[in-house]
Amino acid sequence: MAKIRVLIAKPGLDGHDRGALVISQGLRDHGMEVIYTGLRQSPAQIAKAAIQEDVDVVGLSSLSGAHRTLFPKVVEELKANNAADIPVIGGGVIPSEDIPFLLEQGIKKIFTSGSSIDELANYIQELIQPNQIEPIKKISHIGIAVHSIEKVLPFYTKQLGLQLEGIEEVESEHVKVAFLKIGESRFELLEPTNETSPIHTFLQKKGEGIHHIALAIDDIEARLRALSKDGIQLINEEPKLGAHQAQIAFMHPKSTHGVLFELCQEAGGEET
Amino acid sequence: MTTENKGIEQKWKDSVEQIVKRFPERKQSFQTSSDIEVERLYYPENDDTYHEKLGFPGEYPYTRGIQPTMYRSKYWTMRQYAGFGSAKETNKRFRYLLEQGQTGLSVAFDLPTQIGYDSDDPMAEGEVGKVGVAIDTLHDMEALLDQIPLDKVSTSMTINAPASILLAMYIAVGEKQGVPKEKLTGTIQNDILKEYIARGTYIFPPKPSMRLITDIFAYCKEYLPKFNTISISGYHIREAGSTAVQEAAFTIANGMAYVDAAIASGLDVDDFAPRLAFFFNAHNNFFEEIAKFRAARRVWAKIMREHYQAKNPKSWKLRFHTQTGGSTLTAQQPDNNIVRVTMQALAAVLGGTQSLHTNSRDEALALPTEESARIALRTQQIIANESGVADTVDPLGGSYFVEALTDQVEAEIEAYLKQIKELGGAVAAIEEGYMQREIHRTAYETQKRIEKEEEIIVGLNKYKIDEEVNPELLKVDEALEREQKASLQATRNERDNELVESVLKQLEWAAKQEDENLMPYIVNAVKAYASVGEICHVLRDQFGEYGSI
Repeated sequence: MAKIRVLIAKPGLDGHDRGALVISQGLRDHGMEVIYTGLRQSPAQIAKAAIQEDVDVVGLSSLSGAHRTLFPKVVEELKANNAADIPVIGGGVIPSEDIPFLLEQGIKKIFTSGSSIDELANYIQELIQPNQIEPIKKISHIGIAVHSIEKVLPFYTKQLGLQLEGIEEVESEHVKVAFLKIGESRFELLEPTNETSPIHTFLQKKGEGIHHIALAIDDIEARLRALSKDGIQLINEEPKLGAHQAQIAFMHPKSTHGVLFELCQEAGGEET
Repeated sequence: MTTENKGIEQKWKDSVEQIVKRFPERKQSFQTSSDIEVERLYYPENDDTYHEKLGFPGEYPYTRGIQPTMYRSKYWTMRQYAGFGSAKETNKRFRYLLEQGQTGLSVAFDLPTQIGYDSDDPMAEGEVGKVGVAIDTLHDMEALLDQIPLDKVSTSMTINAPASILLAMYIAVGEKQGVPKEKLTGTIQNDILKEYIARGTYIFPPKPSMRLITDIFAYCKEYLPKFNTISISGYHIREAGSTAVQEAAFTIANGMAYVDAAIASGLDVDDFAPRLAFFFNAHNNFFEEIAKFRAARRVWAKIMREHYQAKNPKSWKLRFHTQTGGSTLTAQQPDNNIVRVTMQALAAVLGGTQSLHTNSRDEALALPTEESARIALRTQQIIANESGVADTVDPLGGSYFVEALTDQVEAEIEAYLKQIKELGGAVAAIEEGYMQREIHRTAYETQKRIEKEEEIIVGLNKYKIDEEVNPELLKVDEALEREQKASLQATRNERDNELVESVLKQLEWAAKQEDENLMPYIVNAVKAYASVGEICHVLRDQFGEYGSI
């Protein structure tokens, strides 16, 4: 599914852009594409940018009191350019008594001081892609617990003909990891480096075999928030660093019917 | 006791005695409720590091304040920023505030004025008279200052890119009142660098902007010796989301850039440095704020004396105005803001501010009403008259915590200054986006901490109530924009337009010369009722415009 594209704009002469900048970055962290116009944009310029950038929603920020004039003008300009389907939302220092007027003028919603980025992101998500969870696109890797990488490696390279990409030690997890590419995914062979390793415990309890399945995603923080909101128990509430500098977090098998799932956001770029 | 320390202590006591004889303190003596005598100053006797690091108030490095008796002589100036709508309405609010015991004026201008557009410019649409008063021509300035005696009241003007124009108008109104330039007192903000960093009301690129500023320095040295030519502002840097250390460090770095520019333009440091003023924010972390003010004074004193070799002690003193932190106010349970403002104001007083603006409780919602503005002023008056904190100088000096924090803030300011120096100074750092990035990073982290409730804001993410926030708010009449446009048109019809054309031509010529001071030309232009927009238009054509980075 395409990423939601948002235009954040500062209409008029107001120079207070702390909110606009913070929101831009916050929405990016929620996996949206955000274009920020910079200061002093006329309603016509904002409408033009919204159309050219093909955005899904326009967010206006004003703290100077000019919202009553400028917000409706942006809506008008979009209409005049056959882009009335792009919803406009707004925020800043907006007295509550002005809100009904702005809604009447076609602004979809006003977020006042104290609104959180989460609220805003959820609102936009619902507005643009209602009830749709972006499907997981692929399996990043399958983690397999082994006693000794050296001993099992020939099976994967010779019998299965896979290519070894490298071996890395992840100190925090007390494991050595061998990576083998298979299509657009990988096998990860996990060997404990000492007895405190979770893989050591796993091997003792269950013996060698599949340990976890890692799902490739590109918005780990937003995913974690969404999961936790839906009551899925998480082993890691916050992302941590895994092999290859990827940001990872595990869901608890209790909540996933016995499968240990990892969310994995690979470093240096998004999954495509 | 070493004779040297004894000598320093005795010398200070003697000099203060002399000063107090000439300028008596508020009272003969100060007592607590239990009749305990409150001394002017508490300090450790015979302590070498004390003299080196703290010193006596009024003496280098000014850690404990820039005057020897501080608020025992005179309270800080209570200066509430105000301005909205038309000049006439704002004039009424000013006269009301003066009647209520306010001791100085502070003018807020609307955005078109601040960015050099006339009220009838298409760019001004919707903004006329919104965040401050609309000034197009001298006609408006005359109305703004009507019946306010400029020889008695000092006026602070929050104006940056077109500071020369508003200063010129102030001079012209003074002349009409019969007040000579030499007697005018006040401050223009005139700090363009922080506009690029945080506030956004820039017009021209850095180089011509710095020229306008140093022209003002030179002109005021000659004709307005009592006017503060710049108010180097950390306030907006903090509002944009910086930490206390970043606020102080970036402000001081900007200050150094102005000093460098003025010296490069041929001025001697002691010619202008005594008229430099500063403007800081008072935020929530009580002791850190106090430490910030004390550390900033010490850092600036050292820079001015050691780096710039200024000889006049007035050049070493960091004098500052403080405003409580607007971004700390919540729209939720707005009366809680009165408590926040009280603590922030107290931190400013304990940090030794020269003047103070206390925010109104409703500023997260709109411009303050008259009642809210009065409570804000009363807050200062209560701190001054009832709390007793003004009865001894630097009451927290010597606190282990405050002194350690002061030292640490100082060290971190210096680390930032070093970094900025390596980037080629403040102007280069701004053009490269360095300060903007640092501030944005802090702002975003703060927002995340608040949303994760790692930082508690009462009423916002904890102790919430269901409420309908619908207090009485000040509204700017929508008809104002129309009226202001009509009044500007009337002025254009009445004035001598040939004269306007000729003064603008002269200004254009002067702008082309590299070593012509622009101030006299701007004074002539405003006296002929040329508008802010017309004057800025001439300068835009010559200087170009700054694009946001």
